[in-house]
Amino acid sequence: MNASPIIEIKHLTKRFKNATEDAVKDISCTVSRNEIFGLLGPNGAGKTTTLSILCGLFPPTSGSVLIDGRDIQKDLTYIRKIVGIVPQDIALYSSLTAKENLDFYGHMYGLKGKDLKYKIAYWLEKLDLTEASNRLVSDFSGGMKRRINLIAGILHQPKILFLDEPTVGVDVQSRNVIITHLKELNKAGTTIIYTSHLMEEAENFCTYVSIIDHGRILTGDSPTALISSHKGAANLEDVFLRLTNRKPRDQ
Amino acid sequence: MISKLLASVRKEYLLLVRDRTGLAILFLMPMVLIFVMTLIQDGAFKTLNEKGIPVVFVNNDKDSLGFLIEKGLRNNDLCSYNDSINGKPATLESAKQAVADGKFLIGIVIPEGATAAIRKNVTKLIKESISIDSQTLAYDSSGSDSAEIDILIDPVAKKTFVTAIISSLREFISEIKTKIMFETFSRQIADMIPDKSQGPKNAYAQSQIIKYKEIYASKTEKVIMPNAVQHNVPAWTIFAMFFIAIPLCGSIMKEKSEGSIFRLRTMPASYLILTGGKLIVYVVVCLVQFLLMISVGLYFLPMLGLPTLVLGNSFWGIGILTLATALAATGYGVLVGTLASTEQQGAIMGSLSILLLSALGGIWVPTYIMPESMRSISALSPLNWSLNGYYKLFLRGSGVSAILTDAMKLFVFFIATMTIASFANQIKRKV
Repeated sequence: MNASPIIEIKHLTKRFKNATEDAVKDISCTVSRNEIFGLLGPNGAGKTTTLSILCGLFPPTSGSVLIDGRDIQKDLTYIRKIVGIVPQDIALYSSLTAKENLDFYGHMYGLKGKDLKYKIAYWLEKLDLTEASNRLVSDFSGGMKRRINLIAGILHQPKILFLDEPTVGVDVQSRNVIITHLKELNKAGTTIIYTSHLMEEAENFCTYVSIIDHGRILTGDSPTALISSHKGAANLEDVFLRLTNRKPRDQ
Repeated sequence: MISKLLASVRKEYLLLVRDRTGLAILFLMPMVLIFVMTLIQDGAFKTLNEKGIPVVFVNNDKDSLGFLIEKGLRNNDLCSYNDSINGKPATLESAKQAVADGKFLIGIVIPEGATAAIRKNVTKLIKESISIDSQTLAYDSSGSDSAEIDILIDPVAKKTFVTAIISSLREFISEIKTKIMFETFSRQIADMIPDKSQGPKNAYAQSQIIKYKEIYASKTEKVIMPNAVQHNVPAWTIFAMFFIAIPLCGSIMKEKSEGSIFRLRTMPASYLILTGGKLIVYVVVCLVQFLLMISVGLYFLPMLGLPTLVLGNSFWGIGILTLATALAATGYGVLVGTLASTEQQGAIMGSLSILLLSALGGIWVPTYIMPESMRSISALSPLNWSLNGYYKLFLRGSGVSAILTDAMKLFVFFIATMTIASFANQIKRKV
């Protein structure tokens, strides 16, 4: 097994045009291969900005990111092939069926022919969507849309999977199905970078957690180690609230 | 690459065919526009080109002037001649009423004794000119020596129509005066020559010093007259092709609002592939629109009693120009979709700009009736380049070489819009 980190972030900073403050301030961290890396933080902490830079959506203002040993600013084409993204918003065509959506996204990841057909059928079956595969996505429930949204990001068996709140707004059953299959995917070799507001889910799902706020990483360790290092903390949520303050965040 | 492009085309095709309302607008709207605008404009074009201006004629003269004017009006393409109203011979009163009711645009009433008055007037002139003894040149000195022709005008009649009719009347009166003058001279000279066989013949009747031949500057064998169909079918087809900018822009905006664009931007697929799928599908839509609209002109409009569309001789020319127009239209749609930030913004930006470009481009009214300053602005509209090309093909019967400049302009417009869209897309991503 390759012991080198799959993601290396060094002094990453991002300031948006016309902004007076950095959205991400001098972040440095590594993500090991096969990790389920949780990036947790309140609203406006810099999670989505960090994730977007890692996906290659926009470049950092300064600092460097190596993914699978390749510089994100130089080797974006390679990196795009090995990563999968499951955005927080449902990124699907509502007037296409589930199968048609997956067929299109599969082709965009370079899959085709029988291989693509097999993978679509496999994941639809796994996530209990075979019967609904020929229905328009607009007719789907929230949980079904989330599951299709997930399949669209994992169809090409990415080395790294970015999940931006993949279970937000879904019922317990759908959440359970999603988490179970994500764990299976991780066992099969996919490194997962995950953001969420659901502390209990993160505690059970992640192998490593980084808590981020105001664009800076405050701490990072395994959930168990984080809980035990904070006296009186019963769970990850307690740790999170101690570090990020209890006041509600509007942004 | 090809497999990605085909997948992109398939996706766009499915999105388009499932948008029934959008499709209906794309195909029904231009058809309705062609029907309505052609029917509306047909009257105006017909008035000038086919049926002529409706004229009621009252001939109380029953002599040379009256008959000559009647013959002239009957043979004049500019006029639609009538001498009866509701099956009864027209009179001054009934003609006045009919013109007032809008049944005719112009009424012409030749008074009784008009020819006699001209004859008297001419004889008097000759007498004064050559001082012939009044005994020799007998003329009736009683009565009036001038004729007053009544011209009844519908207030809605265009000034140009009235001028054209009065000009024709002047021509007829001048002709009859010359004729009478010539006859009077001939008669007098004949009286002076003892040998009657040497006298002047009625040469005037046989003579026609200047002849006119109408030649249309068209390369087709048959003359294609500009009419409502020849203008409206290509004009509204071009409008419809450019109107696809709105659904195309909507498709781009929907990708933004539904979040698909987020996923697409993180995928190993180029801008060219993602946009290429849209371009191919919408160019095909434009071509289908063109075929449909041409079919309307060829088969459906004649069923309504309208003229049949004449396509000219160059099918290659039509193909090249239509493809160039389709590319220009889709390129414009991509540009609007890229520049707009919301669906509403795109719809407003798209529809208003197309309405403006079409008005400037001569879609609503032909450019030749625009003032000079507007005509120079009109030449900047891509819809005008396309319309000019179709005019060359459909009306002048020109070939490929004649439309190459127009097609090239449209192609350059397509390249320019796509380049700007690509740059705008990159700039928008730089956050």
